[in-house]
Amino acid sequence: MTIMNFVAAFLFVLGAFAFQTSITGVNRKIMARLQKRRGPKWYQQFLDIFKALSKSSISHGWVYDFGVIMALGGIMATVIFIPIANFRAFPNTDNVFIISYVLAVGMLGMAMSASGSGNPWASIGVGRALTNMLAYEVPFMIVVVTMIYSFNTASIGEIAEIQQDLGVLGWNMFRMPLGTIVALISLQGMLGKKPFDSFIAPAEIASGPMVEYGGKHLGMLFILHDLSTFIEISLIVNLFFGGGATFLEFGIKYFVVYTVANLVSGIMPRFKIDQAVVFFYKFPLAAALIQGFIVIFTGWGVTKWL
Amino acid sequence: MTNSMSNLKGLLNKHYQISEFEEPIAMELIFDVRNDQLLDVLAFMKSIGFGQLSLLTCIDWIEKNEFQLVYILMNWDSGIHALVRTAVDRDNPKFRTIEHIYPGVKYYERDVHEFFGVEFDGNEDSFKHLFLELWEADRPMKKDFDPEAYSEKKYGMRKYRTEFPRKIGGE
Amino acid sequence: MAIGDKVEIKAWEKLGDFFRGRSIWMMWYCTGCGAIEMPPTMTSRFDMERLGMGPMATPRQADILLITGYLSVKTLRRVIYSYEQMQDPKYIVAFGSCTINGGIYFDSYATINKLDDYLPIDMYIAGCMPRPEAIMNAFNELQVKIRNNEVDGWKRYKKNYDQYKANQMKAVGEVFVHDEFHE
Repeated sequence: MTIMNFVAAFLFVLGAFAFQTSITGVNRKIMARLQKRRGPKWYQQFLDIFKALSKSSISHGWVYDFGVIMALGGIMATVIFIPIANFRAFPNTDNVFIISYVLAVGMLGMAMSASGSGNPWASIGVGRALTNMLAYEVPFMIVVVTMIYSFNTASIGEIAEIQQDLGVLGWNMFRMPLGTIVALISLQGMLGKKPFDSFIAPAEIASGPMVEYGGKHLGMLFILHDLSTFIEISLIVNLFFGGGATFLEFGIKYFVVYTVANLVSGIMPRFKIDQAVVFFYKFPLAAALIQGFIVIFTGWGVTKWL
Repeated sequence: MTNSMSNLKGLLNKHYQISEFEEPIAMELIFDVRNDQLLDVLAFMKSIGFGQLSLLTCIDWIEKNEFQLVYILMNWDSGIHALVRTAVDRDNPKFRTIEHIYPGVKYYERDVHEFFGVEFDGNEDSFKHLFLELWEADRPMKKDFDPEAYSEKKYGMRKYRTEFPRKIGGE
Repeated sequence: MAIGDKVEIKAWEKLGDFFRGRSIWMMWYCTGCGAIEMPPTMTSRFDMERLGMGPMATPRQADILLITGYLSVKTLRRVIYSYEQMQDPKYIVAFGSCTINGGIYFDSYATINKLDDYLPIDMYIAGCMPRPEAIMNAFNELQVKIRNNEVDGWKRYKKNYDQYKANQMKAVGEVFVHDEFHE
């Protein structure tokens, strides 16, 4: 590990931020066209974030301030571990368990600062967010564990490379179709998009954990949201869609996955939190278990594939 | 339908000696009662089917020096609206509550108290404010309260400079 | 304050104005009858999002407060409460003629006549109610003014705070809300 690793990691974080923020802006325009209107410019998200960072902000004590900083720091640390094509900032650190573990730091940091702000809407929102996490993680983890068992490796980069050997039909999307469907449903929950976004409900609980944020804290929160979106979608692209041999291929797959998730969320209403939890424990859990049985007992998709 | 109207008029005449009725439109009946008769009449009306109190309001007759309380009752079976009116002295407006007959009148009595000043004994809530917070002037709906003067004194008016360049119809 | 300091603050503020003039978040609190003109402005026909404006849920997150129409005294108490929770720099746009001189409610005992006495207004839009075309025009002009650093309602409020407070107390009495839901 030389100084070049650290520099590469830093540039990677900046690049990920710029990439995801531009794609968010483009998606706002796509969503606007879906609703038959014009929409903002593609760099509008950048303007929003820098405007939020330029306002003055209030503070509710050091727990409130520290929570946001801790969350942002944790997410930035997670971004460093994501593998893309052949690029890894630090070698041998792209284990799927590391990423899942450090991803929770973001949510916990936000929970800490929401409780430090003392607003009851924030407590309700955080309670819902953590319940949501309990719901979508279980089917997703079952699919991931199935994949780890079948490929005998927990490293995301290696899983991506194994899929690339057989061309397009080697993607896990075709090898484990039920698992892909479960992962895409969990992705809606992870990103906090409809129909599972009841923890940010703007008109209902005044945007949940973000209710007391203003100014610089809000800017940091938007950066946090963009980076965590980057992590989650990269995870899905690497695990199920074959990663990418080059940055360009990865970028195209990333854009398609994010746009599809956004379009699905644009036409759906919102589940209540108890409906969301019950839903996740019905069809996605059953599908994940069936996928697991298929892979373990028949080997279809892993050993018996082309 | 008119059967039940004449039935009603007959009953009211028999028990309470009310003989003057107005019928401005179809299915609506208006009559006046004295203060001491009012609770009996309302309880009686409720027992013969007028189960809904639609409104309690007050009219300020400043020349006759009285407040007229109007209770609007409705019968769901026959579709008749009955307006029961009674007069209260304007300088010392006190009356009794009818909350035990129609429980929903609690808020209407607060409304009438806040805007006209009528006190309803027996309804403790009626002395709390309903719409106006921190109101310190006279009761607003009385006819001797001038809202424009109040508005100008309290909130000020924007001063404009008006110039008319030419008189119309003149030189 | 040395001349060097002033120039540095100005540069930082200029950069802030560049961003603030292209992305404004409004507070989702439409006060009077003029709020009926906000949904057409926000939705597909007169899309407000292409100017960079969008709604946000709470006063802490918002930059701009839209006073759409008349303000009764009760609402004014709560609007002042919300305005003071917003974070600098913040702007107010007043719609309609009721905020200018009382409009058709000039002789009411419960609505105020001159909004400028109580809160610092950055832009008035004439009309009863202004149509969405007028509102979009006004937002465009407001954005140009912000980029040129010409709107300073929040600075005026801080500088003349005592005067604004005296006016507010005269009309409203007390800004803290006392009603049976809060106690």
